[in-house]
Amino acid sequence: MVPAAGIDGQGVSKFLTPRAGVTLVVAGLLLYPLVFTGAFYRDIGVSFVLAAISASAWNIVGGYAGQVSVGHSMFFGLGAYTPLLVYNLWGWPPLLGIPFGVVLAVALSIAVGTPTFRLSGHYFSMATIAVAELIRLLASTWNFIGAAIGLQGPATARGWWDLTFRGELPYYYIFLGVLAVVLLTTAAIERRRFGFYLRAIKASERAARSLGVPVRRTKLQALALSAAFTAIAGSLYVVKTGFIDPDSGFGILVSVQMVIIAALGGAGLLFGPLLGAVILVPLQTATNSWFGGGGSGLTYIIYGGIIVVIARFEPGGLFDLWHRVVPERWRRAHVA
Amino acid sequence: MVVVQVIVGGLLLGAIYALFSSGLTLIWGMMNFINFAHGEFVMLGMYVALLAVTWIGGGPPVFGVAAAVALAALGVAIYFLLIRHVARGPMLAQILSTFGLALLLRYSAFYFFSANFVSLPPTSLSGTINLAGIYLPVAQLVAGAVAIFLTMSLHMLLTRTTIGSKLLAVAEDRTAAMLMGIRPDRMQALAWGLSAGAAGIAGALMATAYPWSPSVGETFGPIAFVVVALGGFGSVLGSLYAGLIIGLIQAASAFWLGAIYKDIVVYGLFVALLWFRPQGLMGKA
Amino acid sequence: MLLEATNVSKEFGSFRAVAGADLAVERGEIIGLIGPNGAGKSTFFNCLAGETQPTTGRIVFDGKDITHAPPEVHARAGIGRTFQVPITFEDMTVLHNVLVGAFLRYPGRNDAREQARRIIELTGLRADQPARTLGTPGRKRLEIARVLATEPRLLLLDESLAGLTPTELQAAIALVRRIHEMGITIVIVEHIMEVIMTLTKRVLVFNQGRVIASGTPEAVVHEEAVIEAYLGRAYRRQVSKGSQDG
Repeated sequence: MVPAAGIDGQGVSKFLTPRAGVTLVVAGLLLYPLVFTGAFYRDIGVSFVLAAISASAWNIVGGYAGQVSVGHSMFFGLGAYTPLLVYNLWGWPPLLGIPFGVVLAVALSIAVGTPTFRLSGHYFSMATIAVAELIRLLASTWNFIGAAIGLQGPATARGWWDLTFRGELPYYYIFLGVLAVVLLTTAAIERRRFGFYLRAIKASERAARSLGVPVRRTKLQALALSAAFTAIAGSLYVVKTGFIDPDSGFGILVSVQMVIIAALGGAGLLFGPLLGAVILVPLQTATNSWFGGGGSGLTYIIYGGIIVVIARFEPGGLFDLWHRVVPERWRRAHVA
Repeated sequence: MVVVQVIVGGLLLGAIYALFSSGLTLIWGMMNFINFAHGEFVMLGMYVALLAVTWIGGGPPVFGVAAAVALAALGVAIYFLLIRHVARGPMLAQILSTFGLALLLRYSAFYFFSANFVSLPPTSLSGTINLAGIYLPVAQLVAGAVAIFLTMSLHMLLTRTTIGSKLLAVAEDRTAAMLMGIRPDRMQALAWGLSAGAAGIAGALMATAYPWSPSVGETFGPIAFVVVALGGFGSVLGSLYAGLIIGLIQAASAFWLGAIYKDIVVYGLFVALLWFRPQGLMGKA
Repeated sequence: MLLEATNVSKEFGSFRAVAGADLAVERGEIIGLIGPNGAGKSTFFNCLAGETQPTTGRIVFDGKDITHAPPEVHARAGIGRTFQVPITFEDMTVLHNVLVGAFLRYPGRNDAREQARRIIELTGLRADQPARTLGTPGRKRLEIARVLATEPRLLLLDESLAGLTPTELQAAIALVRRIHEMGITIVIVEHIMEVIMTLTKRVLVFNQGRVIASGTPEAVVHEEAVIEAYLGRAYRRQVSKGSQDG
């Protein structure tokens, strides 16, 4: 199946083409917390939007360009630490720390990308894991940033700019706004040369090179953009939870979750990560509460099982599955 | 004297690292595939040893063989059920397949065995021995020695036997090997069996000398990666040297810098390798 | 002189794949590189394309030294190439495949799209067809369309006409001719003698890393060394008969 890309009027992505579909999704997201008003549901809402942001950020370099980083927590963590750092050091509103996180993440992405993009496939993935782990270990020994204990944010709001809201609603809509920015950026990329070059690189670097695609530079740009958005996701996380430590910032499970969510919904597709988040985050919460004490253990068993099943049977994710299951006729009528 | 003890201890542990990493490097050499669940194979080997002792009550040879056989079977099964299908597909699926497997194995172990650290009940290898002034647990000594022996055996198997040359042939050029009547599929399955089996025995060996829990896979996996990267992808002999070196570096770092720094040094070495010499000590670029 | 390769050698360890090969290509020529398998022509070809770095020698394209330049630079300078086994972007349509090529000279998407459509029409493909549904001839055609979109002045074809039925082959030859008529210089590696005879004006014959003959196809075919090395006995008999008769 062919991802359409708007350049020839086919619509912005596989799923965007039925315009109704997109409107439905947008409406659904906007109305969700107004329909599900309980704190529990809203909390899940905030979580899945945040997960969608991280996974969509990852998607740019991992899904579209095919560079499977399993170390994106290095950017997430940077974005998570800087707001609390500026607060703890200088008493600034955490918000002001966000640009620092983005700048650091972009710098790190270039430092990491330059040598590792020479490596291919599995070696590249392993390299990203190693770098993220190294950063996590270093963070846990660095007293300046709280070492293993981590940092905390403002306990009570000193003003609206501290963004410590009592309810979930403000967080939900702020996060949704950021998600919209990430997705609109991705959609814009999809239609332009940059997006085509990313997909060419994913399909075959060798062929891409022969057509003049500046492979190394393009990969670095994709990684930098992805890192910036991932850092923002980290910042949002810390704005919401008010706390960070090396594990929740730089831990491998943070990286793995981004990858799984994107892969579940459909990596390389605009709405893939969002779909993955909407399914996996509630599922995770459910399994955590169903299985009581041994909750998180079983959650990860299920996680692991899902990942293996996707990898083995449906690497294109659920979107791909949808396209196979839906009858040809219906699809041809609706996908212009 | 303490220094010598630290060095010897590090080398002995390094020998075990070499053993389980040799399997990982074999798979990489053959298929350009990294098994992200490899650490879990070692961990499972440790538990199989424990089960063998508690159920059958056998000594080290028994549970060593049990771990080898059980894990080898697991390795072959995983190849046929999972790896063979994803190996030719999209990269994302390949990475996720063994990653998901790692989570599955690790948390299943947590579920069945609990998160507590366990050790083997006293075996014929218990106790310490005094070698020229240094005190070494017998288990560590034997484990290290056996590990070196097995790693060398694997190297001999690959370089001196017919089956070994078939394995290497598939690693070198799959199509050419096929044209010569070698079945790549079978060879790859065999490689996975050997790889997992080696990890299993390594686990059993370690179980005689060190306590563990289901979380150890998380540390062994990355160690295996570093050893393979340092030794050169595809070179079993390289893993032997690299394993010993890494064991030594770890022990030295823990001794002089502190426990947490031992991991930092190892990872730092890994990252430095990626920058400056991705092909490792003995690998081809 | 559009392309000048002088004394190009490529060694892999102790193995000499190419030894001191020279090639001079004038604008508007069609040159053939032939020789048995393992003769070094593909390695030489890859040196010209920038995929392989020559161990010694110089390659100059339109006055620019591109000896050690990577493929991207070659493409931007105006050298395009196809692959022995076509590497099409399977998950994209024909149009999108060609677009990737078009973007080299037309960064804006509207201009790129127009360029792509122009080329697709020229090559007789269908724009919205998914690349993975194309058969081998379709894929080869798509590869050619895609590289044409980069507006190359020199096109390197790597056995692009292999594996085609006689009808498909005629169509492909016609396409190559059309490309040549557009003013594009062509260097073609090929095994199929019909292609070499009908399309090329000059051929270089490789054997064991060296150029053992060069000249017009008709002349080269009669050279003993070439017949011996490459054409085989059957051809030798035919050719001998031919030269006896006329």
